This record gives sequence, structure tokens and C-alpha cells, in this order.
Amino acid sequence: MRMLKYVIKRILLMIMTFFIITTICFVLIKLLPLPAVKEMGRDVNLILARREAMGYNKPILVQYYLFWKNVILHGDFGLGEQIYSGQEVSTIILQKLPYTVMVNLYSILLSVPLGILFGIYAALKKNKWQDHFISTAVMFFISVPSFVYAFIVQYLLCFKTGWFSLTVASKEATPFVSWAMFKSMFPAVLSMGFGTIAGLTRFTRAELSEVLTSEYLLLARTKGLTKRQAVIRHALRNAMVPILPMILGEFISIMSGSLIIEKIFSIPGVGALFLNSVVLRDYNFYLALAMFYTLISLVGTIVVDLSYGFIDPRIKMGER
Amino acid sequence: MKKIMKKKALSILLASAMILSLASCNNQAGSESTGSSETSSSSAVTESTSEAGNEPATAADDSEEWTVDYANNTVYAGSATTKLGSAGSGTLNYSVYAGEAGKDYTDPKVYTFHDYMAGMTNMKWSTHTWETNDDSYVLGFVSSGFYDFVLNSTKDSWAITCEMAAALPEDVTADFVGQYGIKSGEKAKAFKIKLNPDACWEDGTPINADSYMYSYKELLDPVMLNRRADSLYAGDFEIYGAKAYFYQGSEAFTAIGEPISDWIAAGGDPSTLYVDLSFWGVAKEDGSTYAPVTDDTQIRDEAVPEGQDEDYVSAKYLYETYLGAGCPYESYSEQYLGTLESFEDGMSFDKVGIVKTGDYELVFITTNPIDQWEYYVPYNLSSTYLVYPELWESCKTYFDSNGAKVSAGSADIASVTTNYCTNAETTVSYGPYRLAYFELDKQMTFERNNNWYGYKDNKHKGQYQTDVISTQVIGEQATALLAFQKGEIDNVSLVAADMATYGSSDYIRYTPQSYTTKLSFNTDLTKTTERGTQIMCNPTFRKAFSLAIDRNKFATSYTAAGSAGFGLLNYLYVYDPFTGETYRDAEGGKEALVHLYGLTYGEDGDYDDLDEAYEAITGYDVELAQKLMKQAYDECIASGLYDGSSNVEIELRVYQGDDVYVQMFNYLKGALETAVKGSGFEGKVTLKMTVDADYYETNYSGGADMIFTTWGGATYSPWTMLYQCYCDASDGSGQQMEYGFDTSAVKLTMKLDGLNYTTSLQNWALWANGDVNVKIKSEDNSNILATFAEYDSETKAKIFGKMEYAYLSFFTTTPVYYRNTGSLVSQKGDYPVKQYIDLIDFGGMRFYTYNYDDEAWEGVRNSLTY
Repeated sequence: MRMLKYVIKRILLMIMTFFIITTICFVLIKLLPLPAVKEMGRDVNLILARREAMGYNKPILVQYYLFWKNVILHGDFGLGEQIYSGQEVSTIILQKLPYTVMVNLYSILLSVPLGILFGIYAALKKNKWQDHFISTAVMFFISVPSFVYAFIVQYLLCFKTGWFSLTVASKEATPFVSWAMFKSMFPAVLSMGFGTIAGLTRFTRAELSEVLTSEYLLLARTKGLTKRQAVIRHALRNAMVPILPMILGEFISIMSGSLIIEKIFSIPGVGALFLNSVVLRDYNFYLALAMFYTLISLVGTIVVDLSYGFIDPRIKMGER
Repeated sequence: MKKIMKKKALSILLASAMILSLASCNNQAGSESTGSSETSSSSAVTESTSEAGNEPATAADDSEEWTVDYANNTVYAGSATTKLGSAGSGTLNYSVYAGEAGKDYTDPKVYTFHDYMAGMTNMKWSTHTWETNDDSYVLGFVSSGFYDFVLNSTKDSWAITCEMAAALPEDVTADFVGQYGIKSGEKAKAFKIKLNPDACWEDGTPINADSYMYSYKELLDPVMLNRRADSLYAGDFEIYGAKAYFYQGSEAFTAIGEPISDWIAAGGDPSTLYVDLSFWGVAKEDGSTYAPVTDDTQIRDEAVPEGQDEDYVSAKYLYETYLGAGCPYESYSEQYLGTLESFEDGMSFDKVGIVKTGDYELVFITTNPIDQWEYYVPYNLSSTYLVYPELWESCKTYFDSNGAKVSAGSADIASVTTNYCTNAETTVSYGPYRLAYFELDKQMTFERNNNWYGYKDNKHKGQYQTDVISTQVIGEQATALLAFQKGEIDNVSLVAADMATYGSSDYIRYTPQSYTTKLSFNTDLTKTTERGTQIMCNPTFRKAFSLAIDRNKFATSYTAAGSAGFGLLNYLYVYDPFTGETYRDAEGGKEALVHLYGLTYGEDGDYDDLDEAYEAITGYDVELAQKLMKQAYDECIASGLYDGSSNVEIELRVYQGDDVYVQMFNYLKGALETAVKGSGFEGKVTLKMTVDADYYETNYSGGADMIFTTWGGATYSPWTMLYQCYCDASDGSGQQMEYGFDTSAVKLTMKLDGLNYTTSLQNWALWANGDVNVKIKSEDNSNILATFAEYDSETKAKIFGKMEYAYLSFFTTTPVYYRNTGSLVSQKGDYPVKQYIDLIDFGGMRFYTYNYDDEAWEGVRNSLTY
């Protein structure tokens, strides 16, 4: 019952936070004037009239009311003005989202097991050459930006060896969920995964190393458990308490694309959309995306918080 | 609060106005106004010595000197003889290249052209809504114009061919006398177009005159607000009644575009003008913001408490107190005073000058006669505006005034949008290819449109060998280059870094663009003083900086294929379509730059003739730059622009901070520091770079010291550019990017047929832009120049050259490079010509031929070198 109350309270707080953040976003983006219309020899009134028709000249409070009204009653986020001009914002986002989700999903599915395995191995071989090697590699992959490996991966695996295609395949060439599509996405998946693998390896190694030196693990060994049994049954389960929420966070972030990776591998995802909407000042795209990512982030935070209780029953949500 | 802001704004405006007034007073003291017979001012100019250290200005003498007097804002641009031309003269080439390969239905081989584009962020390729080059790329495959410009039979220029039209246009103006504004005796205003009876949509539905009438009516639909509606009323080919139909039931305000004093001096009647009340932040009760200058209706200004001064204002009051001639804010009159056109509501489309005269016959009627119509009518009709009626209607979405969707029959419809031509399903072709597949931001595939008339009419034999065009999005140039090397795409654009490897390749193709990239300087005293960079207001300083830039080195080092740029217009602009001669090669175009960069020719000159002098232009002279910089220092000290000790950081604002921009900045910084060596500025004046994604906006508000600017236009319309891009407004409200350079205050004198003509540079530019209301009188009032359009091409080039010289001689902008692009073409096939030809590039997909079909290409594509 306490848990239910806690969840309801968090959801109400989330709605309030969502409303505040979106209101701030609305005000801030509307404070930025639309780009001036400068087109030699053209009738700029056409663009100004279109902006008028889109309600951009109404008082900001009226615009705010109409925005929410159209979103809530019709699920309508309006039309693009500066990008994808005249096209429905929600349609464009929904068209582009699957690529981003798929590449991120593959990346997580690849990097989570690898990251944990490397982390466990490094922890078990702590201070041996294997640990030093993995730690050095981790430092390298965390320090170097992902677009650097992206170019290297593309050059070596796609151009020189020809094992993979330079860019992600189109849906015309192969079905979206297919081996061929996965194969074409692999270089991008790998490039995105290096950072996650390195991060998880470092985190797992640190957590597990700490647990492995704890007294209760010593007790487990003295009770007669083998090292493998002690690690799997006791050390790993305890080490996973902070790691699993991290993994969950990675899953939640699969909807946010990577601007540079998507560009290098020609992935038609949402990576550049948010940035373009701000730079080019497309009000409707910006607001729809800001709302979308705010919601994901808030839901993600609640899910991660609640997950602690499920992973470790000793953590009681809502308890004082 | 608003009041305080308003007061602050007013005080700034007042300060600006005072400075402008002072400048204006100076100008008036040293120059002659149009139509005035007084010559005292010209003698004042003759006696003055220019700040730049040029020879004493000789504004009204008979010499051939081209001089500029910065102190008095006057330019004398030599003399010329003029000749009136005749409209619609000359012969054009209609002999089309026969081609080498085309569709052979017995050939089982498949030829696919693999192309790429950098993105699809704003694609909507309907003929009614297209905006970007990417849109026109699609339209180039899925639509056909009435006429097309294609490679000629000798493969050295273009020829005109009929496509959706069955014959060349015919002047039928005489048949419409008394209708559509046509008066007896007029010519070149109505053109009959016989339609191609074989034209049809990709599903086989015929295209006839009714198809066009429907489509043109939809194009001009006032509620649709189609982006291309202005194609029928905003350019030189203005269709009679099109603007009135589009704007029916509304008003269109056109600002006078120059200070009211100049406007009156040019013969304008101020009582006909309207005040844009947004100047004062008020509006009439009906919400309109325009009122005649004679209207004394009192309007409440809510920002002022009732009972205080100016709690009520009227248009008449604002005009007489603030905006009128001699008033404190006269400089704002160019923006807030104007004419108001009211368009009658409920106008029928029958009154628009597009007339169906048969099932396969249309007549286009223009508002003004079309000069050189044999060329310009096909040129303007090289596009068609066709939409497939059923699909067009089904793609519409209706909105009310609150932006909520409503049904098609609703009485609340306030606007309509369409998703026509946004994917394969909403695209119907009437061109040589059809859009078979479209995936946003990823892939487009075009296949042959087997119902296209050209595959059956025997007139297109030897053309269109390509079966499939597969265009993918590759945003990263480095990825595109790898894909090209693997033979996955058939062309690739190159960047500066690639030129070392591919610059001498047999497969490189250079494509000149109509753009000139320049450095534009802020010369507004108030704005630059705020940042401590007011030395920018000294023209000698700017000139010295300009001469320290080695344009050739800059272009070859930091651009992919750019070439050194010296003028506002590059060498692509054709001033005579009948000969294909370019403005830059004309005497007028050459003279402008030779004089600008101080080269001399002839008997006492450094070069034998104009051509030799023109070829010798580099725009780079460090010695002179340093000499001028010393002079600039003295001038700045004398005028108080510089205190002799402060450090000055001139800010170059750039769009992004990538390697190329950093290298460009470093070069310019070095050039400036070289120029100031040995002068009082040495060690004190330098350049800094600021990344600003909104740098254009910043520049338009006077917030930048200098930025890179680029303008280009239709290469067959060179004369409109000077006004539209460079002289329209110095305060950022127009297109002009040289903030603070008020061309209405620059007096340009040129001697034509022995008579001196003086008016503001802005007026000259407006006149060249085709404004028939601008009257330019000789100083002795004995003659008024004909309209610009009435002169022959050579004369136009000469006069325009003098204007270009006048603009550039103030060095408020300094051209740096002409834009070109370099690209590699694959060995899979090639275009028929290797040298770029204006209007047709290298021959286009129409004449592209293959060395390998798709199957054979797979075997070789990985083993080729470039």
C-alpha cells in the first residue's frame, strides 16, 4: 500500500514537473524570433502570411492555450515551418524514430553482456595483466569520442575489407527487421557500443572488486563455496544493485539518437532533429521533441528508482 | 516599462538620426541633387581631396577619371555613350544535340545512375510548393517544362527545345487589345502556347488546357498560400492580374525604400503615402496598421497613461512629427512610409492573364512587355505548374484560425496545407521518370515513366539511356567519398582537402556557381562604437585591409574549387542572351574592376588595353595596403575614430568553428596584421573569431563587425541584383548585408552622351532594377534617361559597371572568391561535355551515357582509380 502511494505520488510529481518543463521550453523557444525572411526577388509576404496562419503572431498566452488544446484534444503537434515545412511533426518523428530505436537497441544488446563480462573478468583478475589491459582499453574507449571509432570502423570494416556496407541499408533494399538490415547497422552499432561497453566494464569491475573483498564473501568462501559459486550467487547479485539501473537507463535512452553516428552511417533517425529544430527555430518540432524527451526522461527516472526495490528487496520504496 | 524601453529606443534612434543627419548634411554640401541645375556643389567636390588619398575628385569635369570622395560620399564613374535597344531582337539556337544513346527497348541491359544528396530536411517537391535545390532535383525527373534548355548540336552552348509545348511561343498581343490591360500598339505582352497533345500523367491521363487552368488557379489560391504563387507575379514575367487574384480582399504595403526627402526629390507625392503604424507600436481599431499620412484619426497608445503627451497619436501626427522630410526619424521613413495596394475581394480567375483558347492552347498575358521575349518567354516557361487534380485535393488539410484541423466543407477554413509530393504515393509524374520509392532522409528511386511522351515521339532519340536513378542520403562527405571509391555512387562532391589528391584527375568536373563570397563590414558608427571597433567606419582602413588579402591564395587554399573573386557579380552572369556574352567580359564589367583596383591602361597606363589590365587584376598589394593603413591611422586619429592607444579587436562572426573556418580566419588575421605593420595600428588592431549560428541575424541587427556573406541570383538577370541584394536598406531590414552603408546617401555621377547625371546610388540601382518610376535627370535638366530596359545590352553593362564600381569603391564589402564546386564523375558513364555550360551544366541526365551496364560495373567498380 505504501508502495502504491509512493508510486502515485511520484507520478503526480512527474506530471507537474513535465508541465513546468514544457512550459519553460514553450516560453523560451517562443522568445526566440523566427529567422528573418530574406529571399531576393521573392514575395516574403507569402512566408509571413503562412506564419500568421500558423498562429505565430497571436499573443503568447493564446498560442500556449491553443498548443495544449490541439495536443490534448487532437494529439496534434502542428506542422513544421523551418524543417519539413508544412508536414505533420508527429508523422515525421514517428517515421524517423524506428531507425534510432533499432540501432540503439542492437547496440545495448551487444554492449551490455560484453561490458558486464569484461567487468567481471577484470575484477576477477584484479591487478593482473588482464585487468591492466582491460582497464587501459576502457580508458581509451571512454576518452576517445565515438565518431573517431566510427570513422575507423567504417574505414576498416566497410571500406578496406568490404565486410559491411558503408551506410545503413534502406527499407527498399531489405525489410527493416532482417539479418541484412542488422548487418548493415552493425558498424554503427559497434561504434555506438564501444562507449557503453567501456563504461559498464569499468563500473562492473569497480562494484564487483568491492564486493569480492567484503567480509560476507569471505564468509561464503569459508562456508565451503567455490570461488565460482561465491561470485555468481553472492558477489554478482550484490554488485548488480547499482549496475542494473544503469542498464535500464541505457534502454530508456534508446530513443535519443546520436547526431554524429547517424550522419556518418546515413541512418535516417531522430539524432539531428532536436538540434536542427533549435538551430533553425522550428517551434513545433522543438516543442514536440522537448515534450517527448522530457517525458521519457521523467518516466525513466521513476522506473530506475522503483527498480532498486525490485532488485534488492531490502530497499523499500516509500519507507521512512 | 514599455515606455522606458520606448524612450531608450527613441534616444538611440535620435542619436542615430543625428549622425545620419550630419552625414546627410555633408553629402548635400558636396553633391548635387537630381534634377538640380546648381553646380556649386560639384566644384566643392572638385576642390576636396579624398580621404583615401586618391587624386582630387573630379565629379563634374570631362575627364575619364573614376574617383570616389569618401568625405562627401560622392562617386564619379567616368563617361559612356548610350544606345537604345529594341525588345525581342536577335536569333536563338534551336538545334539540339542528337545524343549518343537512349532508350532502346530491345536492350536487356539495365543502366542505373547511383546518386546521393546530403539530406532531405525540407523536401516538398510539388510544382506549387518547392523551395530547395533538392526539390528541384526531384522535379527535374518527374516534371517537364513547356520549354527546356538543352545541349546544342555543336556541344558548346544551349539550344531551346519544346517539351510540354508543341511549338515556340507566339506573340498574340494584338488579339487581346482592350482586354487584360493591353492597349493598342503594344507588343510582347500576350503569348500563345500550343500544348503538346501527347503529354500525360504517369497513369496515362491526358494533360490538356483544363489541367493547366486548374493547376494555375490552385497555385494562386489565396487560402493555400503556395510558396511558388509568387512565380506568377513577383518576377519579370508577371502575369496580368495574378497578384490581385492572390491578394484579393487584402492589402499589400510596399515601403518606399529610401528616405522621404529623396523620394520626394525623385518626384514622389507624399500625400499618396501610408504610415505603417507599427513604427509607433499602435494599430487602428480594425487591427490594420496602415493609415494615410493625411489621416488625423486619433489612435490610443496604450503604453502612455491617458492624459499624458502622445496618449493619442494619428498617422498624420507621426508623419509630420517624426517620419516626414527633415523630421528626427526621417531615416525610418524608408521602412515605415509606403504605398498601399488594396485588392478587391471575390475576383474571378477569368481576370487573370492565363487564358484557355483551345483544348490544347493557352495564352499567357503579362503585366509589362517582355524585353527580348524570344528568349525570356521560353526561359520563364521552362517550368510548368501542374498538379494531378484528384490527388492534389485529397492531400489537402484544412485548418481554422486557431490552427485546429477542420473538414473540407467547413465555414471556418482559414488556411490549407498539402502533403502533395512528399512521398512516392503523393507524387504523380509527367516527366521522364517517376518516383518509385521514397524513404525520408534515406533513399529515393526513380524509374522510367513509360507514359512519358518523349519515349515515343521520336524527338528524343539518343536521350535518356538511364533506366533507374537511385539517390541515397549520405550526410558525411567523407563517407560519400568512400562510397564513390567503391563504385557505389557515380559522382561525389569534393572539399578543399580532396583537391591535392583529385585536383588533376581526368574525372573531375568544375561547376561554377553564381555566388560571390565576400567580407561584409559594419560601418555604422553607433553600432561599432559600442564595441570599440569604430575604425571600421574609415573607408581607407577597409580598403587597406581589402588589398592585404591575396584572393587567389585564399580561394585555392580554403575552398574546394573556388576562384579569386573581385566583383559583386562573377563571370556567369549573361547580359545578352542572344550572344551569351557575360557581364564580366563586357567592357562595362571590366572597367568597373580595373578602376576599382587602380589599374591603368592606354597611352599613359601600365597596360596596353582594358583586356590586359583586367587580366592583371589580383586585388592584392601589400605595399599599398600598408601605405593606406598609415593614412587610415592618421585619418582615424584626426576624426576621433581612434585614440592612438586602445587595443581594437575586430570580430569576424562565422557560422561554425570547423577547420576550414579556422584556417580562413587565421589567414585573414594574418592579412590584417600584415596590413597594419608599420602603422600606428601595429600591435593594437587584430581580428578575433566568434562562432555564431545566427550570424546573419546578428549582422542584420548591426551586432557583427564583419561576416562572410554570399549572394547569387539568376545568371540571366544580372541587373536586378544590385538593388535587391546591396542597396535596399542599410539598417538590416532588407537584403543588404553591409550594415550602415546607406546607398541613398551616396551620390553617383556618370556622364552619359556628354551630360552629367547624378542621383543616389540607391536610385541608380532601383532604376536598373526596372522601377519605371525612377526618373534620372541630367544636371542641366535638359534630358531624362529612358528606362533601363530600353537601352541595349552593351549600354546596360556600361552603366551597371559604374554602379558596381560605386558600390565597391567604399569597401563596405570586399569580394574574396567566386564559388565553384568540384566533383568527380565515375567511370561508369559520363556527360557529353567536360566544361560547364550555363543553364545545362554538363548536359544532364538527358545525355548521360554509360561505359558499363549494371552487371558489367559490378565486376570492375572496385578496381578503378581516379
